[in-house]
Amino acid sequence: MNWLTPFQYDFLLTAMWTSALIGCVCGLLSGFVTLKGWSLMGDALSHAVVPGVTLAYLAGWPFSVGAFASGLLAAGAMAFVKVKTPVREDAVIGIVFTAFFALGLLLISIFPTRMNLKIIVFGNILGIAVEDILQLAIISVVCLTVIVLKWRDLMLFCFDSNHARALGLPVMWLHVLLLMLLSATAVAALQAVGACLVVAMLVIPGATAYLLTDRFGWMLIIGALFGTLTGFIGAYASYFIDGQTGGCIVTLQAALFVIALVFAPKHGLIATRRARA
Amino acid sequence: MMEHLHTPFQSEFLAAFCVGGLVAAVCAVLSCFLVLRGWSLMGDAISHAVLPGIVLAYIAGIPLSLGAFGSGMLCAVATGWIKENSRIKEDTVMGVVFTGLFAFGLVLFSRTASDLHLDHILFGNILGLTPERIIETTAISIAVLAVVAVLRRDLLLVCFDPSHARAIGLRLRGLTYLLLVLLSLTIVAAMQAVGVILVIAALITPGATALLLTKRFDRMLLIALCSSVLSTWLGIYISVISNASPAGCIVLTQTLVFVVALLFAPSCGLLRRNRQVTS
Repeated sequence: MNWLTPFQYDFLLTAMWTSALIGCVCGLLSGFVTLKGWSLMGDALSHAVVPGVTLAYLAGWPFSVGAFASGLLAAGAMAFVKVKTPVREDAVIGIVFTAFFALGLLLISIFPTRMNLKIIVFGNILGIAVEDILQLAIISVVCLTVIVLKWRDLMLFCFDSNHARALGLPVMWLHVLLLMLLSATAVAALQAVGACLVVAMLVIPGATAYLLTDRFGWMLIIGALFGTLTGFIGAYASYFIDGQTGGCIVTLQAALFVIALVFAPKHGLIATRRARA
Repeated sequence: MMEHLHTPFQSEFLAAFCVGGLVAAVCAVLSCFLVLRGWSLMGDAISHAVLPGIVLAYIAGIPLSLGAFGSGMLCAVATGWIKENSRIKEDTVMGVVFTGLFAFGLVLFSRTASDLHLDHILFGNILGLTPERIIETTAISIAVLAVVAVLRRDLLLVCFDPSHARAIGLRLRGLTYLLLVLLSLTIVAAMQAVGVILVIAALITPGATALLLTKRFDRMLLIALCSSVLSTWLGIYISVISNASPAGCIVLTQTLVFVVALLFAPSCGLLRRNRQVTS
């Protein structure tokens, strides 16, 4: 077995650096998602973009435009229903995202396109088209720039939105901004790992980093590094395991999370047991 | 044209109507508890987490439902345990555990040469049910319904007001686990018939619809049950005559019922003229 073989195939090289890029953006964002308690939101948005992607393919637009619009529409619908009814937030999110996903299923079953169910469930990082890579790169760079410029405001908003409002930050806009970032990364990650696993890329790096550090700045950096490395190594390993790429990336992430959960220096299981004893 | 509209009632579709209706009924009943307890994500999580169990059961040659049930419960128990033993929030833990399991299942699945259809697991195959599947789904559904019918008061109290439940001497932990077992069983039974996505919707939407329409729990159960079963039948019917995805049609019909309730509910409907007075 030659360890360098994957580097000789163009499609594998592309897969490795694209998943590393997506892993980086998702990992960075996951710090905010875990802090805000928005895991379900990440899951929801990644499913809710499906009808938009299908419609965009049908209309011949860039898929990210459709996905983005449908993600924001879903977020708007959730906010509306939550304000107007006594139903709990988690149930509202569940209703809206399953409805959007079902609409996506319906559209796909009626109008078959290049965006088939398999790609939505599995992602398609090994067979990704050039124009899709371009869109992913643009999305990633834009998200990275926004996060780097705004991370302090976003952190304050996630940590304590009342405090942020008292300081005069535009809380509503930050909320919308975070939703937009989440939708955008969900679209990017959909291509890499598939709808069901996007939430993993948006949660596991942040959760792992949260176990390893108490400082938010470090949490973002660790999350981003974690996402980048697991994206790269997961895609690399999928060649040898001959397993599905998205599954490999996320399984690797989950395994590293378990290691951090047990062995983290201050907040790991062993450390807390010892502190208690 | 008339012939076309009658197609759904031919015998091969009758099974879909019966099993779909039964599954919808069980899910609707549980959804009332989940909506009150704030466990909507739990249904989502368990229904994804069953995948590795299914593949492992297939490899080991044991019944798929056993594997599915085992890995669903593993997800629920692991979530509770990690939450209690680390500083990570519950929603994050759930997100980590279920996606980890699902990803592991996908890798296993792609490594195993099997005649399992991932499409059928994820999106259901309600129009192609085998007799064994029908018997299994029916048996599990009836068992879950019976347990809920007997214990519904206790379960309600556990979901609605845990501290009160503890105060009057109910076994809180036992009942919480019972609810998780019922949930896993329902998901296992329903999933093989209708798929993961549909299960998630069926475990949330009917309960939320009923919550908009009434404040009494017994009525809530009844409304959820009726709306779920009727919209499932309508969804299957539409999918058959329009040749569209059954899971998609059923979920959208349920959502439509929710939207109608949202607009016209007597106390909190958006279009009620006396809304200001009553609310």
